[in-house]
Amino acid sequence: MSESKNIKFNIYNPIITYEHRAAYDMIVSHLQEIFPICNQGKCKALEVSDDPQKQKQINDLMEKVEFFSNSLITITKVFFDQLYRAKQASSQSISQSTAMTKIDMIERNLLERTCDVRWWALEKAFWQCITLANKAKSTANTKILKEGVDLACTRLEDIRNSYTLYRDLVIADKNGIVIANSNAGRRSKVMGMDVSNEEWFCKALDTKDGTEYFVQDVSKSGLEEMDALIYSTALRANGDEQGEVIGAMGVLFDFQGESQIILNEYLPNDKNDETLEGWFSFFTNNDGRVICSSDENFIPSGKIAELPRSHRNLSKAGEDIVSTGTVCGNRSLIVSHKSKGFDEYKGLEWTSHLVLPESAMFERSLTNEDYEISPQELMNSKLIPQKNQQTYREIQRNKGDIQLISINGIILATDLGKAGTSFIPIFDQITTTGNSTTGKMEELLSEMSSDMLQQNLKALENFSKQAIDLIDRNLFERAADVRWWSTDHAFWEALQEGSNENFEQAAKRLGIINASYTMYRDLVIADSNGRIVANSKSENRDKLKRMNVSEQSWFRQGMQISRSVQFGVQDVCDSDLENEETSLIYCGGILEDGQREGKVLGVLGIFFDWGNLVYPILEGCLPRIKGEVVDGGAAFYVNDEHKVIATTDSENFKIGQVVNLPSENLNLEPGESASGTFVANEKKYIIGSSKTQGYREYKGLCWTAHVVRPID
Amino acid sequence: MLYSTFYLGETQMAVPIPCILEIGRSFNFHPVRGTPDVIDGLINLRGKVVTIVNLGLAFEESKIEPSDESRIFIFKNNSELNEVADSDMVIETAPDNIGIHVDRISDVIRVESEELQAVPANMVHPFYKYVVRRNDTFIIIIEPSKILNLHETPELLS
Repeated sequence: MSESKNIKFNIYNPIITYEHRAAYDMIVSHLQEIFPICNQGKCKALEVSDDPQKQKQINDLMEKVEFFSNSLITITKVFFDQLYRAKQASSQSISQSTAMTKIDMIERNLLERTCDVRWWALEKAFWQCITLANKAKSTANTKILKEGVDLACTRLEDIRNSYTLYRDLVIADKNGIVIANSNAGRRSKVMGMDVSNEEWFCKALDTKDGTEYFVQDVSKSGLEEMDALIYSTALRANGDEQGEVIGAMGVLFDFQGESQIILNEYLPNDKNDETLEGWFSFFTNNDGRVICSSDENFIPSGKIAELPRSHRNLSKAGEDIVSTGTVCGNRSLIVSHKSKGFDEYKGLEWTSHLVLPESAMFERSLTNEDYEISPQELMNSKLIPQKNQQTYREIQRNKGDIQLISINGIILATDLGKAGTSFIPIFDQITTTGNSTTGKMEELLSEMSSDMLQQNLKALENFSKQAIDLIDRNLFERAADVRWWSTDHAFWEALQEGSNENFEQAAKRLGIINASYTMYRDLVIADSNGRIVANSKSENRDKLKRMNVSEQSWFRQGMQISRSVQFGVQDVCDSDLENEETSLIYCGGILEDGQREGKVLGVLGIFFDWGNLVYPILEGCLPRIKGEVVDGGAAFYVNDEHKVIATTDSENFKIGQVVNLPSENLNLEPGESASGTFVANEKKYIIGSSKTQGYREYKGLCWTAHVVRPID
Repeated sequence: MLYSTFYLGETQMAVPIPCILEIGRSFNFHPVRGTPDVIDGLINLRGKVVTIVNLGLAFEESKIEPSDESRIFIFKNNSELNEVADSDMVIETAPDNIGIHVDRISDVIRVESEELQAVPANMVHPFYKYVVRRNDTFIIIIEPSKILNLHETPELLS
């Protein structure tokens, strides 16, 4: 117990609760009562026996009792320190992972935006419109130009209807004059506006080819009143990625709306659904300025965050820092995590901050649920840090030693016959005191282990929420993609014309789309009879051409679609279309003349590369200790029939298996989370589960994410 | 008389305090080739050689393995027992110091002679001497000499 010199939380630290201080006082005062009793015993030894050997035996026993009492006093001090350190470490770890999750969520989203803008810039209606505008200046053919502008505006609106994350999308000619936009409500203000001195426009013109884009960090723009985050790229002649720059496209992402959703997640609420006092979550840019906040009254956007300098000046991507300080008048734990971007997207060097009251780290968990884990089982489990387990064993050992000394003392006293009976109350007292103090300590240890269990369950719940949110957000993007692609002129033209040449063109277009993404196995177009007429991968063509999909769920859903904002989903299943156990197919209706509403000509089906899409997400949500996945930790999704549809542990939680989980974890309402324990494969696990709440207008597929770890 | 109680599995048993020489943690046993399985081995207790009987095996149940909780009851030999003053009960142990290895120890209890009840006929066992009722539980008083003189119950040595 040399650690007693390095005690951080001594009993007089104001953070120690009244109850714990009282328990400490009780233990120490009881142990101190033992010393006079031992002295009394030593004196009595001289009284009752002349035998020096017996006297020595009694003296030795008394000294041993004194030794163990002293040792227990030291352990008590260390124990409280360990109790509070363990709570602090666990709380900090959850807060760090939360801060990181938030910035990761926004960066994943922004990666999608960079893909979007580059893809859309190739749209024929946009580069044609700019070409017409440039020509119109010389030929003054305003009618054709108006038609071109109208079409461009319509297509921009289609994008905005499919991808609801944008406040506006604009295209400007080479001189920086806005000639089309997506938001009809702002059209009169935006059209004709000169944006030639805005950074997003200038940098877009400087891009070398169609693979480059620019992002203008959250700042003022003439295009709207609120601070804007704008992604831009050049529009090029004939939609050729290497072509001459003829204008620029800028997309105004609803950064504030999106960030608000993310920032408000994982913050505890009171019964009125208000965030608890002292809890804040916000993002700052690389100047340390707040760009979005969960509480604009206390942490307003646009201002330099009132944080210790070290939290504002994180220099390395992925770096994080934890400290305590005063924020908005409260003693707080402050956690900051600097973004490292996501995949090839480098990010804008933003930092995510999470602030919570310091006292929240040490609060007792209020839930008294019975998780069917005994205190001993819990104390010996891997959930409890080794140091605390050692303390537990040391207390147990001292308790055993004191008991042993007392009984041996009683044996010795009995041997002394009547003279020895006066010792019996002394040893009884030693036994009682030893039992009461170690009993109290066991109670505290049990409290600590129960707190650690609660914190571990909370962490698993957070991971499961992250897992379901990430897949929902990803599938939202894919739902947006399928809706937008279904409106592509190559597809409706092919189905309307029905010529081989048109089908070839459609297949080529599908091929281009598939080559731009890594998450699809194939994309197919089926005509109204369920015959596959085009697909993206030539190697699948022969097999698919022989197939009729008219009885398949995705096709039947697609044929019911009459508006371009609709889409359909065939949940993960074993499909004949692919030689895979898990097929997930999204579909959109291809409507006559590419109209927003009208007769459906056929169906666009996109087949997910399920494993490629889902495993990186699940892997990222596994419970970790110091960056390493905990032994036996697993994450899996189940569908509404509780069958596993994706797993990181195909040995213990197999695809298609219905895992015997507690009903509280299985029967969740949308958006709900729960935790608990269960036994599978002769192991006891703790589990956190979250059911989909969907994301924006994407309702989710009734899936639940489960993240588990064995306790032994 | 005072009794020291202990557990074998979930059964609480007791032996009279006067016949105990000392109680200790599981010692390092020195195995002796050729001894029956019921003998854990020998220990050296301040110069005395003591044979340790595994109580689990003596009851033909599972072997007690040394653990943080397991304890050794070392009994006085008959001559040491005779030297003990004021013994108000006739107890026998064995000619030598012998110990028993138990799962865990519990409290010391005082039992008045009128509390000692005969072992019910349907649970008679050579090692059982009396039964004592404490609240809702029963404690079985063991006859040490029967365990310590196992050669008198040869079936346990086979």
